[in-house]
Parts: sequence; structure tokens; C-alpha cells
Amino acid sequence: MKVLLFILAWFIGTAGVCQNKSRLVPMVLIQGGIYLPLYSKNVQEIKVNSFFMDVYPVTNADYLAFITDNPDWSKTGVKSLFADSNYLNQWRSDFIFDPETANSPVVNISWFAAKKFCECQGKRLPETAEWELAARASETKGDAGKDPAFNQWVLNWVTKPNPVTLPSVGSTFKNFFGVYDLHGLVWEWTYDFNSALTTGESRGNSSLDNNLFCGGGSFASKDITNYASFMRYALRSSIKAKYCIANVGFRCVK
Amino acid sequence: MKTTILLLLCFLMLSCNNNQEPSEKSCCKSKTKEDLHKKISGESIYNLATIWTTQDNDSLQMKEFSGYIVISAMVFTHCESACPRIVADMQRIESKLTDKEMESVKFLLVSMDPERDTPARLREFATEHKLNDRWTLICSSQDATQEIANVLGVRIKKLEDGGFDHSNIIHVFDQGGIIIRQQNGFDAEQIEILQAIKSLTH
Repeated sequence: MKVLLFILAWFIGTAGVCQNKSRLVPMVLIQGGIYLPLYSKNVQEIKVNSFFMDVYPVTNADYLAFITDNPDWSKTGVKSLFADSNYLNQWRSDFIFDPETANSPVVNISWFAAKKFCECQGKRLPETAEWELAARASETKGDAGKDPAFNQWVLNWVTKPNPVTLPSVGSTFKNFFGVYDLHGLVWEWTYDFNSALTTGESRGNSSLDNNLFCGGGSFASKDITNYASFMRYALRSSIKAKYCIANVGFRCVK
Repeated sequence: MKTTILLLLCFLMLSCNNNQEPSEKSCCKSKTKEDLHKKISGESIYNLATIWTTQDNDSLQMKEFSGYIVISAMVFTHCESACPRIVADMQRIESKLTDKEMESVKFLLVSMDPERDTPARLREFATEHKLNDRWTLICSSQDATQEIANVLGVRIKKLEDGGFDHSNIIHVFDQGGIIIRQQNGFDAEQIEILQAIKSLTH
């Protein structure tokens, strides 16, 4: 009988097969609130519950710890279903990257890989609404969405080319919630990155989210001053889950 | 005690919101199909480790389709316009298959609505649309659903009324689980899909 129970416990315990011995990343509470997607011309508020967010994006060193425990996700181990050929392109081999970049954000990561990493930490990828809610905070304000200086700062980063070597995490500003690097370092994956429909794939063209994009259509949307968020939505809508991109990293929430 | 454990196990299998990944020893079906595990291509849908529940309340993994050509689409049973059309398109494909092709083709509907599509609801949908036993309807957790949608390139946007805006795509998988054809939108003729099936069965 006991044996049976033990087997059952083992079965449940191993249900989410996942090894994790990586370091603890500090998290902070993001106070929930109402997020208004920039594409909504009708009032389409999203209520975001409070959640915890990693203070920093995941680094190369963090990711190495994950791969060491889960070699299925190494450069040569990964299934092509889950990552394109750019996966971890900046690494020299399965377990080796330039030591100077240990503390830089890991990039060239697919959505599948990012999701798996967070799962292994007992965390998850942020919803787009959660990410945007946390990212509208400046150094001093929880919601700086209407602050021209803040929007301009973000836009300045977005329009600058990427540095050859990515700086370490924590090298940008600490926002109102205590989170670093939401702007100014890399773009980040969200769980529902592709949930905006922009081509003729939805039921009726009436519900297409064309307002997301710059150009004539965008003037119909809620917040036309925040160009950087248009760019984020445009990026998210144009990529696929297996894409690995040199300036897209991620962080986890729970 | 044994009964309790059995009940508990059954319960684990029942819900569509289970979030389990398989442990090697948990799968009783794989024993008879060990040959399937031989060599799975990196691009194959059989690499998905998630567990699904069918309209008959059986649990299922994608790799169990190994050896079959699979014609598949993501739908939800409360869907009023697009999904019935997709199913009708797939039935039209089925009606044009030769007897020989029929033997090697399965039809798979994957639910994009883990909250409302239960196995019972899938069963009803199958009956309503007169789907025969070549058809499998499956649902799983939100995570598994999002993952397969991203593998298939199906975009899903949840709407306030509980419905979804979604891509309308019919996927054709070869006997190794690799997508060889995707058809966007609706097409009364289905010529290209039929040709693909023909080339796979010759």
C-alpha cells in the first residue's frame, strides 16, 4: 500500500519534468491596475491583478544554469520545432559564451525556450498587459504613460541601434516598482505576444487590430503619443514563437 | 484505499485543465507503440510533451498519431461561424479520399477554449457534426493550448464574450508529424490538400 502511495507521489512529483538549480532572481510586487491597450478605440480596459516580476531580465549566466540542468535546451539539443537556427547565436558552443557577457541579458531565445525557463523556476512569462503595466512606470511615477519626457526617453532608446555587446542587466534605470531594464536594454517576450490579429485571419475584418500600427489607421487609437509602444506591438505581431532575435530577451513573473 | 487512489488517478485524467507533462512510466499506451519512439524529427509535432483529453475521455499525446497522415485544425465548440466551416471543409476532404487513403488518414480538432470545451462538450460537437471514428477532438490546459497554437502558427485572441478571433488554418501532417501543408482561409476545392495526401500515400 505504502509503495503504491509512494509511486503515486513520485508520479505527481515528476509530472512537470523540469530540473532547476539556478540562482534566485529577486522579484518585486507590481501593484495591479487597469491597463488600456493602445489599440483600443472603444474602451476596452484590461484589469491586471497584482503580480511579482523579476527585477532583472534573465542573463546568460542564469540561462547556462538552466541548460546545464536541461540539456534538451542547449544549442545542439533544442528541437527545431521550438527554436530557429539563431538560437543562442551569441554563444560559442552548448555551454560556453563570452565570460564578459555573463551578466548581460540572454537573447536569441525563442518563446518556447523562455516559457520553459520560467516554468522551471516555478514562474511564467508575463502577459502583455502585465508587462506594459509594469513598463509604464518611470523612475518616479507608477504610470508615466502621459509623461512626455519619459516617452521621449523610451523612444530615444528604441530608435538607437543595438550596441555590439549588450551591457549588463541593471545598467538602465530602476523604475517606480523597483524593476530594472524594462526599457533601454532589450525587448522582451510576453506570454500572449501574438494575440493581436492584424491580417485577414479573424472572423470579420471589423475586429482586426489595425489600430496598432503606425500610419493613417493609428490615429483612431487611444494613445497616439506613445510611439514606442506601437513599435513594441508591431514587433510582437510580426514574430513567431520559434524566432530567436538578437535584441529580444525575457524575464519571468509569478 | 486502492479505490481512493484509483479515483484520484481517474480524476487527474478527467479534467481538461491538467497541466501535466508525462513521466516515462505513466503512459500505458506507449508500450504497444514503442516503435513510434524510434526517431522523431526535430520539426515533428510529436515533440510536444503535453497531455490531451479526447472526446472519449482518453488521454493522448501527439506522438500517438505517428504513422498516420493527420488533417487538423484548431476550433472551439461555441464558435458559430468559422469553425463549422472549417469542419465542413475537412469533411469535404474526407469525402474525396479513396479507400486506400482513408486507411492512413486521421482528422484532428484541437480545442482553443480550455475553459469551456470539456470532453463531454467535444463529444456533443462530434455528434452534432456527425464526425465518425476517424475524428479525434482534444482539449488540454491553457498552457498546452497556447503552446500548440504557437507551434502551428495559429493566432488566438480572446474576446470579451468568451469567444475568440483566430486564424483559420487547416494543417496537414505527414506520417512523421511534420507539417507539410497549411491552408489559410476557406477553400471549397481543397485540391492542394488532396494532392498532398495523395503524394504521401503513394
